[in-house]
Amino acid sequence: MIRTSSLTKRYGRITAVDDLDLDVREGDVYGFLGANGSGKTTTVRMLLGLVLATSGSIEVMGRAMPSGARQVLPEVGALVEGPAAYAHLSGRANLALFDAMGQGARRATRAGRVDDALARVGLGGVDSRPVHAYSLGMRQRLGLANALLRRPRLLVLDEPTNGLDPQGIREIRGLLLELNAAGTTVFLSSHLLAEIEQMCTRVGVLDRGRLVVQEQLDVLQQPTGRVVVHTPDADRARALLDGQVEHQEGERLLVRVPDAAALNALLVGGGVRVASLSAERRTLEDVVLAATSSGSDTFSAPAVGR
Amino acid sequence: MTSFNRWCAVALLVLLVAAVPIGVRAIPAHDERVSAADLLARIRASGDHPYSGYVESRGALELPVADRFTDIGALLGEQTRMRVWWAADHRWRVDKLLVSGETDLVQRGTLTTEWSYEQNEARRSADPDIRLPRTADLLPPALADRLLQDVDESELTRLDARRVAGRDALGLRLRPAAPQSSIDHVDLWADRETGIPLRVEVYGDPAAGPALTSAFRDFSAADPDPATVDFSPPAGAEVSYDNVLDIADAANQYAPVVPPDTLAGLAKSPSADRAVGVYGSGVTRILALPMRGREAGPLREQLLTTVGVRTARAGSLLSVGPLGVLLTGAGDDGGWLVVGTVTQETLLAAARDLATGVRPVPDAHIRHSLTRLRVDR
Amino acid sequence: MILVELRKMVRSRRTWTTILLIDALPTLVAVLLAITDLGPRPGQGPAFLSAVLTDGTLFPLAALAIVLPLFLPIAVAITAGEAIAGESQAGTLRYMLIRPVGRTRLLVAKLVSVMSFVVLTVLVVAATAYVVGTLLLGKGDVTTGSTSISGTSLSTQELLLRTLLALAYAMLCMLGVAAIALFLSTVSESPLGAALGTLAVLIASTILLTLDAANALQPWLPTRYWLAFVDLFRDPILWRDVVRGVLLQLVYVVVFLAAGWANFTTKDITD
Repeated sequence: MIRTSSLTKRYGRITAVDDLDLDVREGDVYGFLGANGSGKTTTVRMLLGLVLATSGSIEVMGRAMPSGARQVLPEVGALVEGPAAYAHLSGRANLALFDAMGQGARRATRAGRVDDALARVGLGGVDSRPVHAYSLGMRQRLGLANALLRRPRLLVLDEPTNGLDPQGIREIRGLLLELNAAGTTVFLSSHLLAEIEQMCTRVGVLDRGRLVVQEQLDVLQQPTGRVVVHTPDADRARALLDGQVEHQEGERLLVRVPDAAALNALLVGGGVRVASLSAERRTLEDVVLAATSSGSDTFSAPAVGR
Repeated sequence: MTSFNRWCAVALLVLLVAAVPIGVRAIPAHDERVSAADLLARIRASGDHPYSGYVESRGALELPVADRFTDIGALLGEQTRMRVWWAADHRWRVDKLLVSGETDLVQRGTLTTEWSYEQNEARRSADPDIRLPRTADLLPPALADRLLQDVDESELTRLDARRVAGRDALGLRLRPAAPQSSIDHVDLWADRETGIPLRVEVYGDPAAGPALTSAFRDFSAADPDPATVDFSPPAGAEVSYDNVLDIADAANQYAPVVPPDTLAGLAKSPSADRAVGVYGSGVTRILALPMRGREAGPLREQLLTTVGVRTARAGSLLSVGPLGVLLTGAGDDGGWLVVGTVTQETLLAAARDLATGVRPVPDAHIRHSLTRLRVDR
Repeated sequence: MILVELRKMVRSRRTWTTILLIDALPTLVAVLLAITDLGPRPGQGPAFLSAVLTDGTLFPLAALAIVLPLFLPIAVAITAGEAIAGESQAGTLRYMLIRPVGRTRLLVAKLVSVMSFVVLTVLVVAATAYVVGTLLLGKGDVTTGSTSISGTSLSTQELLLRTLLALAYAMLCMLGVAAIALFLSTVSESPLGAALGTLAVLIASTILLTLDAANALQPWLPTRYWLAFVDLFRDPILWRDVVRGVLLQLVYVVVFLAAGWANFTTKDITD
């Protein structure tokens, strides 16, 4: 769906995006994770043909960008660095205007498309007040509606839940998963680990313009071969397990065993009371912290890493 | 296309656009092997050839302008844009173009009509013997005709041809031999086809650039449309008839004096037989004009505040480029205004001749007219 | 895309406020003239204003001469300066481009929209001036027509034709301004910057026109032939400056549109 090779963008002497090889497959919910200033937005803009790459190539839906923009972009919906609209017009009028731009949108079905998009993002009952009277959350929803207008095959969303309350975030998450289930590929750029972890099937991590991780989320989160055990009888458990405990922290034990069920049977059989027991998995946070240097908006001297 | 290529395309476009007028201007003029004397003959023969076109003249002479001389000050000190339709010597129209109006001169026989759009009036007058220069005198053919009057072949050399108003024009240089003259030289170019002068440049100090330039920008040697040359005042316009055209005409008609027959060795022109004297010919000319105290006073005051003015025993003396100005007398006295394209020494000599040679007019009738004129004003 | 831009222009409140403001000045002048009956002294003041006192039908021309040197260029500079930089500042530019709207197409649509604004403004000014002029200042004799600057009489049809030519010429001059502003609008991040830049160019041009030392430069200055529409009312019409004005404005339009195109189509949109 999206494939870049050696994608690089320099602004003068600053390299914003460095030798990026993205690979987003059809049907993915791809989480594009990175700290502020790591080059996420620049990458998104390059994918959409807004910013021209210094070198490297981009392919979206099998066509080169930006030369194939006329064929590609009608099938892409996007939200780039916050929503934007003509403040003196109503949301509905805004969508009608944006729908009339470019080619291939039939006029007869315009009102239907606009209503549909507004309904999807929960603005179906909005009145005709101008956009400058909208709340931040409403503007964000309107931006999403604009992205959804043409029923895109690919959604490129930059921080889509900005400004939404928890209820709104959940609604949008549900909407995106629903769209994905219906066949839409979603490219989600965010600096929020939790958001990515909850929605995405595949993750790319950007650090200072370089792609440091790109993998299926479930591969990243595979079991570590250790089991976490919470027990009030920690000392008895330690004795019973004899050297298999790698780490103890109060009532929490980390045990290296291949089979959690067998461990449970062993402990219970040994008279140890088990409060909880589960196989340990790596969190996305661990992966990201391991792969990245300190946040790129800190400027500590001497510089860490590169 | 890369950014660089696009900007190259734009730069190419700009060059192309700029190249067109530069290219047109660079078309070489066809010269012709013709002697200065033959060219002079050709120019003189073109006198009755009709023409029309658009003329721009630019004078570099900053004259101290008193109110009766503002028009001539503008004529010699600024740019003047004119349109001309010249059917014959006494049948022509010259429009002086202003930004939001125009002042037109239409000549029919000896009757001149001056139409002013902004005043919405048409003033008619008969051609006087003596008058101040006006727009029509600045047209290259009229100017050349005056400058080449009585010229001697030894004063002439050929210049290279140049293109004027899109036509080939043969060049001629006049370097006056008269010692009185303050004109260094006059360059003019005449149409190769018809001999009509298309461009005239008058130089006082050759290092300072031309003191006066007059040139066609558009030119046609075809007979102008009679409907265009004709003029009748529009309905609603004020129409008047002037007995007196300007201050020179007034002085000539009514001042009770006659200036001497020669001034500083220059002979008086036979057409000037009354109070105003016109002396010399070609590029070396003097105009001597008697002024009453009320006219001379303010002019003298203005002259005295002008940078470069000399106060001699004979009066106030000023050179503006090649043009010398002398006003005799002092204070609020009347005096003689002597203006000419001559050196200051010549002006002073002229003042001496005036001091001794002016005669009162014998005809009492004219004196009578003068008193009437004073009452009228 | 052109239709979308036109719709946006017509629906913008600012469009109408601007037109109203531009229209107010000549109307005020007409009212003052009608009350005081004092025309400007001959040779001073805007063209045709002195003739208006006797014939109100000439007032559209006087109104044009009043708004053309200053009001109209300012309005055009602001409107065209807004074109790209304004969308960029509002953030809507990126959403237009990913719709997708081709960048060249967008530039053309913006130019058409600005020009429509100019046409609309000029027509509104001319129409109100005609109504105000004939109501307040009275009609000349319609059957005899009017007087040309050269003192010949013009029939009503001829006057109308020349007035239309003059309006078209003024619009073309404004097209040149629009092209400059549009180019600056693709360069500058702020619409105000683009508008002020354009006005700076026009003011510099006006000043250089009064300077003899800039003689060689003058035929190329954008405002050099602006007032040449007056020549259309001479008899016969003096085409020289009008033709040069038309060519010069076309050069400005072509060059600055090309520069705007070269800049905008290869520009990184990072607002």
